[in-house]
Amino acid sequence: MRGSSEAILAEMRRWGYRFVVTPTLESESVLSLGLGPDQRRRLFRFADADGSLLAVVGEKTVPVARLAAGRLRSARLPLRLCYAASVLANDGGRFSNRRETHQAGAELIGAAGPVADAEVIALAVRCLDAGGLRRYQVDVGHSEFFHGLLAGLRLDPEVEVGVKAALAARDFVALEQLLGATPLKSAEQELLLRFPALRGGREILDAASRLVSNRRSEKALDELARVHELLGLHGLAEVVSLDLGAIRDFDYYTGVTFEAFGPDLGRSLAAGGRYDGLLARFGRPAPATGFVVYLDLVAEAMARSGEAPVLPRIDAAVAWSGKGLKQAVRLASSLRLFGMRAVLDTEARSTADAAAWWKVIGATNLVHCSGAATTAWTSRRGKTRRLPPEQVVGQISGAVL
Amino acid sequence: MSVSIAICTGVLLEGSLELLARAGVAELDQKQLGRRLLIEKDGVRVVLVRPADVAAYVDFGAADLGVVGKDQLWENPGGHFELVDLGFGACRLVMAVPEASGLAGPETWPPVLRVATKYPRATAGFFAANGHGADIVRLHGSVELAPQVGLADAIVDLTATGNTLKDNRLRVVAVVGSSTARLIANQASLKTRGEELQAVVKRLAEAVRRG
Repeated sequence: MRGSSEAILAEMRRWGYRFVVTPTLESESVLSLGLGPDQRRRLFRFADADGSLLAVVGEKTVPVARLAAGRLRSARLPLRLCYAASVLANDGGRFSNRRETHQAGAELIGAAGPVADAEVIALAVRCLDAGGLRRYQVDVGHSEFFHGLLAGLRLDPEVEVGVKAALAARDFVALEQLLGATPLKSAEQELLLRFPALRGGREILDAASRLVSNRRSEKALDELARVHELLGLHGLAEVVSLDLGAIRDFDYYTGVTFEAFGPDLGRSLAAGGRYDGLLARFGRPAPATGFVVYLDLVAEAMARSGEAPVLPRIDAAVAWSGKGLKQAVRLASSLRLFGMRAVLDTEARSTADAAAWWKVIGATNLVHCSGAATTAWTSRRGKTRRLPPEQVVGQISGAVL
Repeated sequence: MSVSIAICTGVLLEGSLELLARAGVAELDQKQLGRRLLIEKDGVRVVLVRPADVAAYVDFGAADLGVVGKDQLWENPGGHFELVDLGFGACRLVMAVPEASGLAGPETWPPVLRVATKYPRATAGFFAANGHGADIVRLHGSVELAPQVGLADAIVDLTATGNTLKDNRLRVVAVVGSSTARLIANQASLKTRGEELQAVVKRLAEAVRRG
């Protein structure tokens, strides 16, 4: 998991995202500003010596938003920030008893519009690639499509609350009952009931635009078309689908949302979207979009797909005997200086013992120093050559690269 | 890859098999199932599990679809799509008291009522929604016995015909909810293998509509 986490962060840095470290503990009232009731319920809470209520962060977007609105207040927008950390919840939810889970995420703060939306989705996909996943798909939706439909139905406030609750619970039987009891039947109502099936390629946007008759949903469809086109430019046409029936936290997200799924893993591996309302709650109104990768689930998906976790590569194992230690220390330093990974043995070994130790270390090359000027290099293929010490680094870097 | 469906033992089994056959999804009879818990036929995998476990199989993706009573979904909410009311297996979750009890409408209930049930979540939700206090005793069977031996003032239990309640001299004082069999689906299956799954969902929904 450490490996995928590092690879994911490296990918985020390649896109110009700066790594930030945010506090693990926050004032409960501050965190609550950015969390829904369910997320609030799941916070670990406790009091400090003054009796003020603290909480352990259960997700990182709120602390990052607070950082952007607080300590980074003078930094000019847009900000590209990323993080990797463990988060805690006092209730793992339906799927897990784990209290502690690991997340990596990125937030693009201060940029509005489809280009920013597409950047964040493309980055999320590249992060899954970097993390080692080979099979996944990404569903892109838009929260305003739903809000437009709902507003267009002009329901009684009570019914509207019920409709939202039924959708949040993914209970389409209850939804049908609620809408069935309203006098007005419309194409938009029908769309709401067909939510789980509103998924597909570009064509689904045209089909939907023939059925909607409100500005908000129409605008959402236009934005989705643009994002879809941009994701094509990012080279992701193969893995991206459009899902107009995406059910996400509708009170939090304000625009394009997305979720990435792996095969056979009943849940999303990464999820995110646009949340233009959050920063204002911390005093620095700004559009923002971002995502989180669930590192535990990525590791689980990899294990299921039979891809054994790849151990970090080690380029050279440097063994020594007799007077060779001085030369071995020097060689290991030079190898590291040239960017290779080298392990120096901790005890003297004969040539035969060194070969056994080499296998244990699992390095690509073995170097054995038996005297101040006598070194032997064994390559991956098992061929051993005697070399002057000054040639070893050159030979190994040639073999490794 | 085939579509997998979790169905449950008990009162819904016959209706579930009949529906799968009528929709042309899978022809299975109870004898064929016998003691086997897993059958693959016509590109469909059917797993037979206990009613309380269907939601778990579907939520975790071990089955793509599930046929389960709404009463079980009250106890295992979230994690899945609830797609179709399948209509069969109708029953009600009711609150009942001994015939001799003085309890009737909510105004006659003591401030904190002791209630025995197999459905603690739905029961707690019902009392909370009505602003009434209740101590809930969770049992796993023979709930009707509880008020007769003084374990509880009332029970909340499922009834289809009302006969079991009558046999145990219990009287219904409130209806907590109505239940029928539902078709549920795994969230990710619906996305990752949407077309395949939607086709099966559609056939089942049409079979229900035809009646």
